[in-house]
Amino acid sequence: MVLVLLCLIIAVINHNFLSFGNFVRISQDAAIPLVLGLGETFIILMGSIDLSVEGILTLAAVILSMTVLNGLNDNNLGLLAVLLVLVVGGVVGFANGIVHVRLKVPSFMATLGSWFIGVGIANALLGGMAIRINDPLIRGLAIRRALGLPWGVWLALACLAVAFVIQNHTRLGRYIYALGGGEELAALSGISVSWVRIATFTLAGVFYAMGGVLAAAQLGLGNAQIGNGRLFTTVTAVVVGGTSLSGGEGGVLQTFVGVLIVSVLSNGMVLMGVPPSVQIGLQGLMIIGAVALSIDRKVRVVK
Amino acid sequence: MSADTTAAISMVGIGKRFPGVHALKNVSIEIKPGEVVGLIGENGAGKSTLMKILSGVYQPDSGQILIAGEENRIESAADANHKGIGMVFQEQSLLPNLTIGENIYLGNERQFTKFGLVQWRALYDAAARQLEKVKVDIDPRMRADALSFAARQMVELAKALTLEEHAAGHLVILLDEPTSVLERAEIDILFNRVRALKSRASFVFVSHRLDEVLQLSDRVYVMKDGEVVAELAAADADVGMLHRLMVGRTQQADYYYEPLQMPVQDAILLEADQLACGAAYRNVSFKLRAGEVLGIAGVIGSGREELTRTLAGFAPHTAGTLKIASREVRLETPAEAVDLGIGYIPRERRVEGLVLFLSVSANITLADLASLTRFGLIDARKERGVATDWTARLKVRTPNINTLCLGLSGGNQQKVVLAKWLNAKARILVLDHPTRGLDVGAKEEVYELVRRLTGAGLSIVLTSDTLEETIGLSHSVLVMRDGEITHRADAARGAKPQQIDLIGHMV
Amino acid sequence: MAVKALRPEDIRKWLPLATLAVLILLVGIAQPSFLQPGTLIELASDTAVLFILATGVTFVIMLGGIDLSIQSMASLASVIVALTITRLGYGSFLLAIVIGAIAGFLSGIVHVRLKIPSFIATLAMGGVLFSAALVISKERSITLDETGRAYQAWITSQAFGLPNVIFIGLLVLAAAHVVQAHTRFGRYSAAIGAGEPAAYASGVKVGRQKIFAFVLSAAFAAVAGVVLAGRLASGSPTLAAELLLPSIAAVVVGGTAITGGVGSIWRTLVGALIISVVRIGMTFLGVNIFAQNIVFGAVLIGAVAITIDRTKIPIVK
Repeated sequence: MVLVLLCLIIAVINHNFLSFGNFVRISQDAAIPLVLGLGETFIILMGSIDLSVEGILTLAAVILSMTVLNGLNDNNLGLLAVLLVLVVGGVVGFANGIVHVRLKVPSFMATLGSWFIGVGIANALLGGMAIRINDPLIRGLAIRRALGLPWGVWLALACLAVAFVIQNHTRLGRYIYALGGGEELAALSGISVSWVRIATFTLAGVFYAMGGVLAAAQLGLGNAQIGNGRLFTTVTAVVVGGTSLSGGEGGVLQTFVGVLIVSVLSNGMVLMGVPPSVQIGLQGLMIIGAVALSIDRKVRVVK
Repeated sequence: MSADTTAAISMVGIGKRFPGVHALKNVSIEIKPGEVVGLIGENGAGKSTLMKILSGVYQPDSGQILIAGEENRIESAADANHKGIGMVFQEQSLLPNLTIGENIYLGNERQFTKFGLVQWRALYDAAARQLEKVKVDIDPRMRADALSFAARQMVELAKALTLEEHAAGHLVILLDEPTSVLERAEIDILFNRVRALKSRASFVFVSHRLDEVLQLSDRVYVMKDGEVVAELAAADADVGMLHRLMVGRTQQADYYYEPLQMPVQDAILLEADQLACGAAYRNVSFKLRAGEVLGIAGVIGSGREELTRTLAGFAPHTAGTLKIASREVRLETPAEAVDLGIGYIPRERRVEGLVLFLSVSANITLADLASLTRFGLIDARKERGVATDWTARLKVRTPNINTLCLGLSGGNQQKVVLAKWLNAKARILVLDHPTRGLDVGAKEEVYELVRRLTGAGLSIVLTSDTLEETIGLSHSVLVMRDGEITHRADAARGAKPQQIDLIGHMV
Repeated sequence: MAVKALRPEDIRKWLPLATLAVLILLVGIAQPSFLQPGTLIELASDTAVLFILATGVTFVIMLGGIDLSIQSMASLASVIVALTITRLGYGSFLLAIVIGAIAGFLSGIVHVRLKIPSFIATLAMGGVLFSAALVISKERSITLDETGRAYQAWITSQAFGLPNVIFIGLLVLAAAHVVQAHTRFGRYSAAIGAGEPAAYASGVKVGRQKIFAFVLSAAFAAVAGVVLAGRLASGSPTLAAELLLPSIAAVVVGGTAITGGVGSIWRTLVGALIISVVRIGMTFLGVNIFAQNIVFGAVLIGAVAITIDRTKIPIVK
C-alpha cells in the first residue's frame, strides 16, 4: 500500500523517521485532521461537500476557550464546556443541513456561508485576541500521555471507533452509502433523503467541533485564526485516502489511511528540510492527483 | 385449484393524460391471485404508464384501483410496497455499492436493529432465506455490482418477495421487460422460478417478446393507443393473432402528406457498413440518399435508440465503418457531427434541443455563430435578420425573436430546433421522436416540413414513436430487434407496407 | 401563462439595483456625510479591486462552475509585481497577467480533461498558487520602493478629478461586458450555463469554452492583484486573502445564478457596489470589522437561495 511504501522511502532517507518520538509527533499531527476528516467523510460519502470545517472548528475552539478555566474571565465549566461546543457544532451542522435541504442551496454554497459565518462570529467575539486556556483537563489532552501517546490522540482514535460503528452498524451509515450510490433509487426504497442529509451534516458538525476542542488544547489557546488552512488538509486526506467525491465509495478507515499518508508525507518533508510553504502547494497537487485517479471518467457533465 | 377468484388487484376505468398526449383512456385490468398476466403493446400503447400508476409513481386522473376488492390509492412507491405491490425493473434498481443483503432490506432494516445498531448476522440470515425462495445460490454479503445481470434480476425478485412478510393480502409483482438483458438459459431459470412462486404471488409480465409472454402467462392483455383492445387466455392465442391485435388500421395517405413524397435522389450522403456499438447493436448496414427519409422501427432494446445517438455524435461506434459524403469518420462528439452537416432533433427537446432560458434568436443561431461573427464580435443586426427570416419561413409563433424559448408551445419549440439546423446548413437531420408531446396540428406542420425539406434534397433518419408514423413518412424502413436489422421494407409513395407486415420483425 | 412565468424573473432582474438604491438611502439617512461626493468617490475607488476580481469569477459562475483560487491568484500577482517591478518596469504587470492566464489555463485543463469538479480543482490550484507566492516572496510582505511606485503611478494618480482606479474599473467593465455580451464565447457560456446538454448537442465545444472561462477568471484576478499592489504599494502572499468571499458574494448578490446561465457583468457591478455599501455602512454604524463576515455569510446564503433556479437541479448536492 501507498502508506507502507511511503514510510519505507522516508525511513531510508532519514533514520529519525523511525524513532518513537517521531511516531508520537506524527500521531499528534494526525489527530485533528483525522477527527475533521471523519465528519467530512460522511458528507462526501453522501455525494455532497462540506466547506464549513474551519468555521465550526474555530467557533468551537473560541467558545471552549471562553468557557473553561481561562485567562480572560471566570468561567470554569470544565467538561461541560466540551459538551457545549459539541452541541454548538451539531447545531451549525444542523443549520447547514436545513439550508441545503429546505432552501435547496447546493451543499458547497450553504457550507461556504457557514464557514464565513463561523469565523465571523469567532472574530466578533475575540477580535484579534487570543484566550489562554488554563483548564488542566483540556491542556492535558495535549500534554498528558497514556502509553506514550497524548490523551488527545486516544480521543481521536476513540472518535474513529465511533465513526466506524456509525458507518457500518447503524442504519444512518448504510443510508449515507445508499444516497451516494444512487439517490433516486434510495428514495424509491423509502429512505427519507432529507433526514439523512440533515442528520449527516449535524453529525459532521459535531466532529468538527471535537476537532476544535483538540486544536484549542494543542495550542493552549483559542483564537479566530485557529482554523486557517484546515479545510484543505481535511479534503486532501479524505480524497487521498480513497473516498470517492461522487459518493458511495470509501469510508472512515480509508480516511484514516489518508490522514496518515498526508501526515507522514509532511513529516517526511520536514525531516528532509522542505519548507511548509512548499508543502501547501504539494498538497494541492496531491488532491488533484488523487481525485483524477479515482474519478469516474464516464461522467460527462462536471460542475 | 383455488376457487377464490376475487381479483388481487383491479384497475377500473383508469385514465391518464400528459401534456399533449392522452396516455390511458378508460383502461380496466384484473390480476387474480396466483396467476401470471401478460401485458403487451406497441411503444406508446400505455403499458409503462399503467405500470407506473400501479407502482405508485403516477396518480391516475380518473378511475379506481381496487385491492382485494376494496377501493384504494397508491400514493408512492413505498406505499405500493406496503400494499403488496413489488417491482422488478428493466433498469437495474439495486444500489451497486451495497451488498445483496443490504439491497434486499434497504429501507426495512428496522426489524434487525437493536439499540440503534444493525444486527448484521440476523439480516444476512434473513437475506439468505429470501434468496432461497428464488433458489439462487449467492452469498448475500457480496456487493451488488459484482453480480451478473441475471443474478441481479434474481436478487430483485427476492427483494420483491420480502413484501410478503408485511403485506396483508396477496402479493403482486410487476416484471418490466425482465428478459432483455438475459441469456436464453437464464430466461428459462427465471421463468421456472416465477412459475414456482405462483403460489405466493401474482405476476404482471410486461414484454415485447411475444413468444415469451405466451410461454409464461396465463392470460394476456393487449393494449393499443391507450386502451385495452383484447384480453385472451394464453392458451388460446398465437403470436400472429397478437400482432394483428397490436397494430391499427391502414393510415390515411393524406395525414402524412404522402402525395408530397418526392422520389429519392441518387447522391449517397451517409453510408454505414457493419456498424456496431458495444452490445447495443451490431451488423448495421445501410445507405442514406439525398432527399430520403429513412425510418428505423423497433421497440426499446432493439438498438435503434443507440444507433440514432451514434449518428448524432453521442455514442461513437465501436466496430464497422461510417462514411459521410464518402469520407470515413468516427463521430466522437456532437460537435463533429455538426461540422459534417448533421443536425439532431432530440427526444428530450427541452433538455437537449433548446436552451430554454435563451431567446428564440439565440437558439436559432447557436449552431452557426461563426458566420455571424466579424472581428470576434457577433453582428447583432445580422443575427436579428437571420432569426426573423427563419421564424417567418417556418412560421414559428412567438411574440418576438427575443422571447425566451421557455414560453413557446411544444410545436413551436420544435420548429426553433429545426430552424437552428437549417441555419447551420445541415444536410442530414436525425429525428428522434420528433412529434412526441405535440398536438395534431403541430404534428401536421412537422410532416409538411419533412416533405418540403426532403423535396429540396435534405435527408432524414427518423426514429418515431409509432410504427404508423414511421411507415407514413419514410421512403424506406429498417426494422430492428435485439440489436440487429431484421427486415428492410420499401415505403414508396402509393406502395406503403402495412404495419402488420413489419411488426412480426419487431417483436 | 407567459406573463405569470415572467414575474419572478422580473423581480430577480431588478431586485439588486433596487436593493442598492435602498441601501445607499438607508446609510445616507443614518449618516449624511455618506452622501457627499468625496465619500462616494472613495466608495467607488474601494470597490474597484473587488469589482475586477468579481468580474473574472463571473465568467466561471455563468458557466455553472466556481473559482476558489482567485484570492490566491491576486495575491500572487501582487508578489510578482513587487518582486519584478524594479527590473521589468511596466513589464511586471504584463508578466503577472500572463502568469494569471497560464494558471487559469491549468485550472481549466484539470477541470475539463481530468473531470475534477471545479471547486476542488480551483481549491487545489489556489493552494498551489498560495504556495508559490509564499516561496517566491520568502513568506514576507514586500514593500515597493520609490522607483517601483513610480511605475504604479497610472494606478495611484488621478485624472479629471477622479482616481484612476475608477477609470481602470470602468475599462474592465467595458471589456468584460463586450466579451460577455458580444462575443461567441459570451454566448456559448450563457448557453452552457443555462443548458449544457443543449449546447453540447448544438455543436458547442464545451470543454474549450470552460477552459477559456478559467483563463479569464485568473487573468482578471491577476489584474486585480496588480491594482491592489498599486494601491497598497506592496505585495504579499495574503494581500487579497480576505477578498474571496466578498467577490463571490458580489456576483451572487448581483443576481447571477449559481446554477449558471442567468447573469451579466452589470449585475456583478451592482453586486460589488452593494457589498461595498454594506461594508462601509457597517463601518459607519460602528459594527466590528470582523463581525462583518457574519453578515456576508448570511447575505451569501440568502442571495443564493433567492436566485437559484430550482427547476434546473433535480437533485441538489
